[in-house]
Amino acid sequence: MSLQISCPHCGPRPVEEFLYGEIPVVPDSITDADARDLDRAFMRNNPEGPQTERWFHLFGCRRWLTLRRDTRTDEVMEAG
Amino acid sequence: MNEFQEKKIKFAWPEPKRSYDVVIVGGGGHGLATAYYLAARHGITNVAVLERKYIGAGNSGRNTTIIRANYGIPEAVRFYQRSLELYKHLEAETDRWIMHKQKGLLNVAHTESALRTERARAEVNTAFGAKTEFVAPKEIKEICPQIDLTGGNVWPVLGGSYHPEAATARHDRAVWAFAEGAMKRGVHVHQRIEVRGLTMSGGRVTGVETSAGPIAAKAVVGAVGGHVTTLASMAGVRLPIRTHPLQAYVTNHYDLQFDVIASSPGLLFYMSQTARGEMLVGAEIDRQPSYSYGSTYHFLQHCSHRAITLFPFMRSLRILRQWTGVCDMSPDYSPIMGKTGVDGFLVTTGWGTWGFKAIPAGGEQMAQLIASGETPELIAPFGLDRFASDRMMADRGSAGTH
Amino acid sequence: MLALNRIHATRIVATPSALDSAQWPDDRLVFRIAADEALITPPMANAVVSDPYAIVVADSGFAGAWLPMEEALPLLEHACEWELPRERPAFAQGSVAGIPAKLWIEKDRVLLIVPAPFVADFEERMA
Repeated sequence: MSLQISCPHCGPRPVEEFLYGEIPVVPDSITDADARDLDRAFMRNNPEGPQTERWFHLFGCRRWLTLRRDTRTDEVMEAG
Repeated sequence: MNEFQEKKIKFAWPEPKRSYDVVIVGGGGHGLATAYYLAARHGITNVAVLERKYIGAGNSGRNTTIIRANYGIPEAVRFYQRSLELYKHLEAETDRWIMHKQKGLLNVAHTESALRTERARAEVNTAFGAKTEFVAPKEIKEICPQIDLTGGNVWPVLGGSYHPEAATARHDRAVWAFAEGAMKRGVHVHQRIEVRGLTMSGGRVTGVETSAGPIAAKAVVGAVGGHVTTLASMAGVRLPIRTHPLQAYVTNHYDLQFDVIASSPGLLFYMSQTARGEMLVGAEIDRQPSYSYGSTYHFLQHCSHRAITLFPFMRSLRILRQWTGVCDMSPDYSPIMGKTGVDGFLVTTGWGTWGFKAIPAGGEQMAQLIASGETPELIAPFGLDRFASDRMMADRGSAGTH
Repeated sequence: MLALNRIHATRIVATPSALDSAQWPDDRLVFRIAADEALITPPMANAVVSDPYAIVVADSGFAGAWLPMEEALPLLEHACEWELPRERPAFAQGSVAGIPAKLWIEKDRVLLIVPAPFVADFEERMA
């Protein structure tokens, strides 16, 4: 099943109309400033489960939206 | 070698022990090859491979089985050429028929800049031990008569590179050849045992928590595909990995022979013929990270469009099967192998879309690392520490698809 | 054969509430392309909205063509993977034949709009 994303301005559209954007979250356990920079630049949480993420509606309003999606099933849990 | 010369496989499936010298998490190609080389080359047989499903259930059974070494940077060319050589001799070494077939791989270029890339690829490959030559459209037509050099007047073929040593092999057979080779030397392979955690003591990894109880180990190797971030986080190790789905499909039988593996790095599309005569077609990863094995109509549509435009005969074929694997993508499109900064815990990951071809060399080098404690020169450039020290192994143009 | 013509318009970027409360003359088409952005055609250089930081600029970056409803519907049914709005008139935007398109749907006709650089591609794909 193809992923559908609900754009708050344009309505539900197929995922191919959007660009994926990640919200980098550096764990609090990393305290050193350089280590935090390294983590933000390269490391990924890559969760197996719900993740809050950003999508850009390239084919429509050209605005970012926030989405919560389960990466195991691609189920969209709530649109922000 | 062929299937009639093979002996029947006799496996013993022992009960898990409470401790091993080495525990390898993930019974795919890389995990089993590491176990195989540990046993065969270093005599280390007190080894367990833990697989939560059945061996080869993950990406080892979902890839498009291409073996090649025509990468774009010296470090990668040397590593994949080693793998290509090991694959060539794997049947003789393991006494198993893995259906290894040398086919040659054709990269076609549709733009001037892609043409420069292919020329550079041929130069870098030649300089570092792989065989790749720059080819003109006329030669491309000779290598692959089915190609439409005009690219449907949209993507004209201006030239390309030809890598004659590229091959394919049956992926399940490769996995089982390594499994059998390891097991008959005393390695334990445990299917349906899930690793749920890592045990730590004094800042080092000392074993694994599994669905069959705790198992102690002097060294734990993370060789899982798709779930490596979760595994590494149990040891507090952060990885630069994002897991993306990758889809592929096969058509029904094509009546003629299609000898070569044809690829367009620009269109992110490639295709080869399976031993059954089906055309196997793959493309780039899905853009969003996901662990889902879902398939999309969008992929079929786009991929078929590219296939038909370059190879008009594809028009008369029908799609039989479509499937998905998950790819652990690293930021520089190169693998991550070796030490993690946590004693007793090693990883072989970041196998993105280029894992199958790397199985023998990846296993061989990881085994050498485990046996000696020293990172072998061949994989030293691919360490996890390269991100902190700004030594990226950037090779997107070679690794984008297969 | 579809033939798209350049659309001359005014683009306004302002706060959503300022755009919500703005009054537009009856002889203009107003497309709300985002919560904080509107496209007005024919152009309206003196457009006033209640946002002191509003950006009002001339825009000729789009091209469009009117189609009678009985021609437009079969085309869109073929080229559109998402559901068209039911109310009339309605504005909608999304992928049409793989190109970022905007639709202004009236009772008996539809205005198809694409960014000007995509005109040739769009005409070819809809042919």
